This record gives sequence, C-alpha cells and structure tokens, in this order.
Amino acid sequence: MFSQFKEWYDKRHEYARDWKQRTGGKVMGCFCSYVPEEMLVAGNILPVRVLGSHEPQNVTEPYLFGMYCPFCRDVLAQGLKGKYNYLDGITLSQSCIHLRQSYVAWREHVKVPHDYYLYMPNKVQTKAATPFLKSELEKYQAHIEEITGRELTDDDLDRGIKIVNRNRDLMHQVYEHRKGDTPKLTGLEAMYMTVSAMWVDKEEHSAEIEKVLAQLPDRQMDRDTGARLLMVGSENDDIAFIDMVESVGATFVVDDHCTGTRWFWNKVEPNDDRLYAIADRYVKRPPCPTKDWEERWRFPHIVQLCKDFNVEGAIVIQQKFCDPHECDIMPLRKMLDDNSIPSLFLEFDVTVPIGQFKVRVEAFLEMFGVDDLF
Amino acid sequence: MITAGIDMGAKNIRVLILKDGEVIARAEHTAGFETEESARAAFAKALEQAGVTEDRIDKIVATGAGRESAPLATESVTDVGAAARGAKEVLPQAHTIIDVGAEEGRAIKTDGNGKVMDFAVNEKCAAGAGSFTEAMSRALEVPLEEFGTLSLKSTTSTPMNAQCAVFAESEVVSLLHAKTPKKDIARAVHDAIADRIISMVRRVGIEPEVALIGAVSRNPGFVDSLKRGLERDVFIPDDAEYIGALGAALVAVDG
Amino acid sequence: MSKYKTEPLKCWQKAKELREKYYKDYQTAHETGGLRWTGGAWSFDAIPYGLGDDVYPLTGEPYAASIAFMKDFSLECLEATEAKGWARDLCSYMRNYWGSMYLDKWAFGGPFPKANFAWQDHICCSHGKWDQHVAEYEKIPYFCIDVSVGPYNDLDEPKLKYVVDQMHEGIEFLEKATGREYDDEKLIAAVNNECRHTSTWAEICMLNKHKPAPLDEKSMYSLYVFGTLSKAKKEFADFMEEVRDEMKYRIDNEIAALPTERCRLISDTQPPWAFLKVFRYLEKFGAISVGSLYTFALVGIWEDKPDGTWGPRTTPAQQGIKIETRDQALRILADWNLSKPEWQQFYDPTIKTRMMKRIYDEWELDGVMLHLNRGCEGLSCGIMENHWGLTHMDVPVMSFEGNMGDSREFDESRTMDRIDSFMERLGLKKLD
Repeated sequence: MFSQFKEWYDKRHEYARDWKQRTGGKVMGCFCSYVPEEMLVAGNILPVRVLGSHEPQNVTEPYLFGMYCPFCRDVLAQGLKGKYNYLDGITLSQSCIHLRQSYVAWREHVKVPHDYYLYMPNKVQTKAATPFLKSELEKYQAHIEEITGRELTDDDLDRGIKIVNRNRDLMHQVYEHRKGDTPKLTGLEAMYMTVSAMWVDKEEHSAEIEKVLAQLPDRQMDRDTGARLLMVGSENDDIAFIDMVESVGATFVVDDHCTGTRWFWNKVEPNDDRLYAIADRYVKRPPCPTKDWEERWRFPHIVQLCKDFNVEGAIVIQQKFCDPHECDIMPLRKMLDDNSIPSLFLEFDVTVPIGQFKVRVEAFLEMFGVDDLF
Repeated sequence: MITAGIDMGAKNIRVLILKDGEVIARAEHTAGFETEESARAAFAKALEQAGVTEDRIDKIVATGAGRESAPLATESVTDVGAAARGAKEVLPQAHTIIDVGAEEGRAIKTDGNGKVMDFAVNEKCAAGAGSFTEAMSRALEVPLEEFGTLSLKSTTSTPMNAQCAVFAESEVVSLLHAKTPKKDIARAVHDAIADRIISMVRRVGIEPEVALIGAVSRNPGFVDSLKRGLERDVFIPDDAEYIGALGAALVAVDG
Repeated sequence: MSKYKTEPLKCWQKAKELREKYYKDYQTAHETGGLRWTGGAWSFDAIPYGLGDDVYPLTGEPYAASIAFMKDFSLECLEATEAKGWARDLCSYMRNYWGSMYLDKWAFGGPFPKANFAWQDHICCSHGKWDQHVAEYEKIPYFCIDVSVGPYNDLDEPKLKYVVDQMHEGIEFLEKATGREYDDEKLIAAVNNECRHTSTWAEICMLNKHKPAPLDEKSMYSLYVFGTLSKAKKEFADFMEEVRDEMKYRIDNEIAALPTERCRLISDTQPPWAFLKVFRYLEKFGAISVGSLYTFALVGIWEDKPDGTWGPRTTPAQQGIKIETRDQALRILADWNLSKPEWQQFYDPTIKTRMMKRIYDEWELDGVMLHLNRGCEGLSCGIMENHWGLTHMDVPVMSFEGNMGDSREFDESRTMDRIDSFMERLGLKKLD
C-alpha cells in the first residue's frame, strides 16, 4: 500500500530528474524544513529537501569541521559527489549553525545556478517575528520571480498555499489511522510517506495519499502492535533503524521530527496578506529546538501528541553533535518521565551500530511487556 | 660524509646511516618506555651493520614524536619536515605525501623541492592511524599480519563509520553479531581508516603524484582501500617506514 | 638576540583591579539593594543600564573562561554538568557556567550568586538555550534578543526594525521583571559609552599594526575582556582610553611586547584558556601573535577608512550626533552591534576569510594559526572554509584542535609539535 512512497524515497534523484524533464519546471534544493514551499509551488518550482545518504564519505573535511553534526556533513557530501546535480537553485532557511555551513559550502564548492539565504528569524516567540519574516518573504518572492522569469501573483500564491495545505491535511488524515488500538500503518510506512513528500510533486503525492486513505480503513495488519512509541529528536530518516525497532515488538505511532510532524503539522491560515499568512505559519509551527526559547513551546505540543496517539514510550534520538537538540534532551526526557512515558536515548551518526542499538531497544521494550508475561 | 637520522617514533625507533648519499645501514628497535636506551640500541645495531664507529659519524639529526629526547643527535627536524625531505629524495615527482604511522597519520603538500607548503595531522582520536587497525584486528581475533591480506579477499563494501575509534569498534561488534564475514569487516575497517586519511589529504589538496610512506604502507588491505578511495595509484618507496629517518639523515647532510 | 626593548604594561594593575571589582560588584549587589543580571558577552548590555546605576551584569563567556583558566575547578564544573546528563560536546563555556551554578560555587569564592533576571542574545545555537536552562533552574525571568538578520552590508530597515522591536519589548520585560521605572537618559549615556569603548578598543588593535607590536595577544586577552564584561560601563570606556594612550607611548618609544619579534601571526577563535603557554612557546621562535579577528573584533567595532585601511568606527558622538530618544538610542545600538566584524562569520565564512586576509596584509603577518575550537560551535563556524580560503590566497595557515573551556580536549604535546612543523615551514628555528 505504501510501496509508491518507498519507491520515491529510494529513487529520489530519478524522480526529480524525471519531473524536471516532463514538466519543464525548475527544481529547488531546500536546506532545512523551514523553506516556505508554498511560494515555490506557486512558482511551479519543485521543492526538494536535501538530505544525507547514510554512507561514509571522505569529501567534506576541507570545508566543514568534524565537530558539526553528521547530518550537515552528509548533506554537503551529497552536493560534492554530484548527487543533486539537477538542482536549479538552493535555498537555506536559516536555523542551526550546523546546516548553515553545508549551505555555504554548497554555494562555494558545489555551485548551483541560484542560491538564496533566507533570514528566517530564530526568535519565534516575539511579535516582531512574523512582520520581519514577511519582509524577508517579499525578497524571496523577487528571487523566485527572477528564477522563473514571471511574476508571482496572488492567485499563484493561493494555489501554492492550497496545494501544500491539502498535502498536510491528507498526511494528518493518515496519521489519524495511527491513533487506534491497532495502527493501520507502521512508523516506517509513515516515514516513507512524510519524507517522500519533501521532494515529490505535492499534487502527485496527495493523489497517492488519497489512494492509500481509501484502503486504510479496511487494512488488516498482520503484525502485533507491541509497544506504542513516539520517535522524537533531530533530523531522522534512518529507515534501517526504524525497521529494526518495529521488528522487535513495537510500533512508532507518532513522531516529532523535522522529517515528520514538525514539518507538516500546521497549515497556512488564509489571510488577504498572503505572505503574512505564510510567514505566520512558519513562525508558529512546532519549532526546531534552535528556535524554541525563551519558553519551551515544543514540549506541551509533544505531550499532546503523546496523549492523542496513546504513546507508551519514547525513543529520543539525536544526531551526534546536534547542539539544539542536546540542549533539549535532558528537559525533554524529564518532561516525558513526568508524564509517565519512559524513554530510551540513542545518539545517531551517519551510520548506526544496528546490532548494539537492537540490544538496547529490546531491553527498553521489555518494560512494556511485563503485564503480558505474568 | 657520514650522517645518521634517528626517527623516534611512538612505537618504533628507526636509525638510518648515510655515507656520501648512499644508505649503508637501517635498524630499528621497539620504543618501549625507556626510549633513550632503545634509541641507543637501535643506533648500535645500525653502526654494526654499517661497519663504522660512532666517532666516524659527522652529524646526527633526530625526528619523530620523541625527537627532543633523542640521545646523540645534535639537531632535530619535525616529522613533517623529515617526511618531505626523505620523500623528495626517493620520489621527487610526488608532491602529496601521505605518512601513516602507528599513532599518527599525516598529509603533506610540498613544492617539489622538499619544501612543505601545507600539512594536516590527525587529531587526538586514533581513528586515522595504525593503532586503530591493531585494535580492530584484536576485536576480530585476526593476527595483525593477516588482517590486510584478509581484507583483500573481500569484494563487498560495508559502510562503517570511523569518525571515532570507539564508535567504530561498536560497529565492528555489530557487524560480527550480524554474521558479516570477517574478510568484509576487515575491508570495512581499512576503508574506514582510508576515508579518514583521504579526508586529511583533501585538506591539503591531492596532487597528481601521491606517495605513501610510514609503517602502515606495509598493510596491503589499507593500501588497496587508499587507492580505491583516492581513485588513483599511490607510490610506495622501498623501506617506506624509514623515510622519516632518511629525511633526518639528509637534513644532516644539508646542514 | 633582543632587537627591541620591552617593559611591562603600566595599565596591568588597574586592569586587574577593575576586573576584580566587576565580579565583586556582582557578588555583593544585593547587599546594597542593587540588581544582578546574567547573560552573555554579546548581550546588549547598554539596555539594562536604564534600570539604574546599581544594576550589575555577569556575562557567561568570560566568567566561564575564568573557570577554564582554573583547570581543577573547571574539571569539577564540567563533571557536575555531565553528572546531570548533558552532552560533553556542548559549548564548554555553558558547561563550565552550569557546573558552577549546580555546585553553588562562585569561581572567586563563596556561593554562586543568583541573578534577578537573564538578558541574553541569540547568536549561535547555544546562546538562547544557555539561559533558558539557567532561568528554569534559578527560576528567574528571561529575555533574549535574536540578531540573526545577516551580514551588516545587507542590513536594511526591516532587519534593523526586527532587532529594535525586540529591544523595545525587552525594555518592557525589564520593567516588569524588576518593578523599576526605566530611565532613557541612562540608556543614552550607556549607548555612548559602549560606542566609545568598542571604537577605542579597535583603535588599540589598529595600533598593533606597528612593528614591533606594542601588544601581544596573550596580554590582549586581559584587556579586551572588559568589552566582554560590559561594553557600556563608563569606567571601562575610560580605561580603554588609558590603554590606548599607553599603546601610543609604547609605539613612540619603540617598546615591543616581544623583544625578539621576527615573525608576526594571528590566531583565531578563543584560545584553550588552560594552555595559554602556547603563546609563550611561540616566543621561543621569535614569533608573536599580534591578535586575531576574535580579539580585534568580538568587542571592537571597525570601519573602512578613507585611505582604504581598517580602523575604529567613528562613534555617533564623534559624528556630532546627539541621541535624544529611546528609539534613536536603540537604533544606534542595534546598528552599531550588527556591524561587529565577528558577527559576520555566522552567516558567511567567506566574509571572515576576507577580513583575515585584510589583517594579514595590513598587520604585515607571516602566517595564521587556526584554533579548531571544539568548545565553541559559534566561532568555529566556517573555520575550515577560512582554512581553505586563506590557503588558496597563499597565506601560510596551521590549524590545531582544542577546546577553549575543556582541557580534556587539548593535546599539549601534539599542539607544540604542530607549532614546530609550522615554524619549520616558515623557516624559523628556536632562538638560542
């Protein structure tokens, strides 16, 4: 049922090249999940989130010091190895310092026809944030118009907002099917869906979700749900890891990742001032920890997810050296603990020692099976 | 003119004696804890081999991590300087020199006249040097001498991360649990260490001709991984582990 | 071997006393009804001065650097932070500070003085989070200003307004958090002091173009620190003018920081504070570090001079601008700080590379030493790009890994070995 998403995940570059050929449109590489995709879609540009490949590499060290997270180095390696050589432009929406360096190194050494640094504010808890971001989006609009050679009208923006909002809506509907006693999909399947939405044409992706939604109510899962888990932390699309956890007696029922809910959870609320509406959406979305201060807005949101999806335990993952998440993990685990949700913490690198992680995950999952055993 | 170079390595001490530009002796001794005594022992061995007495040696220059504590030497040159000078003598066309010893890996870029233009050295973590291979061969229970040839038997690339030696060791254990053949793990280890070294080489820039020196050049598994990773051949001089000592002896000649 | 004469800095004793008084004032503020705030060296510290003359800051980075200098106490602090479960690779200043707070031990003796509020700037991923935790732990109110609006050359009205709007919000916060009425006159005085202080520091660094250099970087650390403790404090601004005058005296009298100067270098990022002997080691080769972008421009504010050289930015007072209103003061303060050279690298390391090349040329250097500082993701940001860029402009560069605040991450013998190699490359042997 989810095989199309998997194929898109596995063949992301083939997909983008094919899309470009058949539509004649431009493709924009997006650094971080804060790039306002509505505007790209409005300009008939395909937004493609640039992710890593989970393969060791030896090409980034001349440009990026090894103390920064494996994800940002993996992202740079993809550029240096020419994996994304079909991109017409790259956009960084400002967030952490780690990924910022990948962007600059791409700009300097990979060389893409267009590059754009979007000054997404890092303080979202101020009333100054949305007006400021709006003014930055006006500049970004001019950039898009320069790339496409045509004006971005209000109608275009409305269409972009509608298409992206619909995709978010549909993913929400699929997530609804994870709430019941027997989730109708695994965390792995959900991950294939959400991550592929980051580079597949939104309308094609939405059409595929609709097909899935038609079948989901009657889907019989031939596996035990096991422990209902939340997956939370840094950027994560480690398929092998998710698959391993779900093969030893657990199901991920929800996540808080920038490759999942943090990215698609809220919608643009229509407003006559389109750019203001888009800006407000990105300011108010579930924040990345690097933007989550002075208060911690992310935490009550996570607690709510746990309640809504009936979460029993959490696997907290962190990209090695990811400072923003490292500053959240201690209080996050305490908060989960205060809500009677035990958690297991794992540190991820480009590749992870699956065997050892399996031992730890199994030990963690034993906590949840006690009632059944006795 | 007779000169000598003493390479005070972390693990081995090597002495080389030059007479009018010809190598007349090479000798080594394990460094151990008493490095001064070990150096004297290696030097005595070299003198015997050369058939000369100590007073015939015009000048002795030391190099290596312990060069400041080298007995007999009147001057010293850094590992980087010695490697560049030694490599210029044996492989003048190579402007990129990779030097991998027990504890340190280095990449050096020269101007072709033995002058160092840039260099990079691996940091605290041993993931980029010979001792890492040793630790991994122990984890796999394969004798170190066989570890390199074992990896040549593998035709499968297994991704492994060697940003950190401790992380890498846990990955080796994971691969063992997953019943990955030892030859493939051996290759993964050599690929990983080669990746670390190549990362460093990229920092200084890869010139068309690349020389590999240092004791780890004796490991055929590592050499194979390095060539594959660099996508080019690398030149390994004879007695590659003595290039540092040779460089020191030549610095003595140069004055 | 000495080519030049040298003599100790006359301002040294006063520097010591002023620094001691700064920490003492903070510690004892409550005894006289004063207020304490905690924050960062990059905080807009002029703003809290509007609450009164008895409001004392504690800036986290220099406080943590003081801890790092005390190797044993630092280890105690770092371990206390690790015991709470925090990652070992987080900002080492933050870990030292938190450790001191957890242990309830003030680096200069006595219990850790709790602040009344936290006042921070978000410059790197850790800054906004640093005092978020402090505020939660100490149960104090917290305000933090985001400055991530990009390089100064691209500054426009909406960007400036974003920062200034937050400052206005910040003043509302200060009034609410302290119950005090805000005094705009005090703000205006503080802004003028800050501009005077940071421009004068740039002038001092500019004077180090002179050969032989009147100041070495190790001494600079003890003087630039005032700009990290409080840029807007009048006494510190006054003191900078004394230091500047002493520099002029040293130049006029050919007094060198290093009598054997024959090789001029700059470093980069904060040094490993527990190992400042690195700088003394350089002296064995007749080499001196005459500064760094970090010492010049974390505090110093610079501009292009008509003759094309880099010099101190002209202050509003020097331009004849009289600050009349709160908004005007805040706009000047924001603009002034956003022009900080050390701030530009957060967006684009190529700007930093160009600034370093400029220093290399104008200060007539022989090489650059990059400290790949694992303790600070902010100032190490883009450092390999700097390495790449400088090397490609034929600047001799060496790099060494370390950590400004975690001595466990510094390999002393290997670093000295690397310096030997670099000196050899520059054709220098140890002086007899």
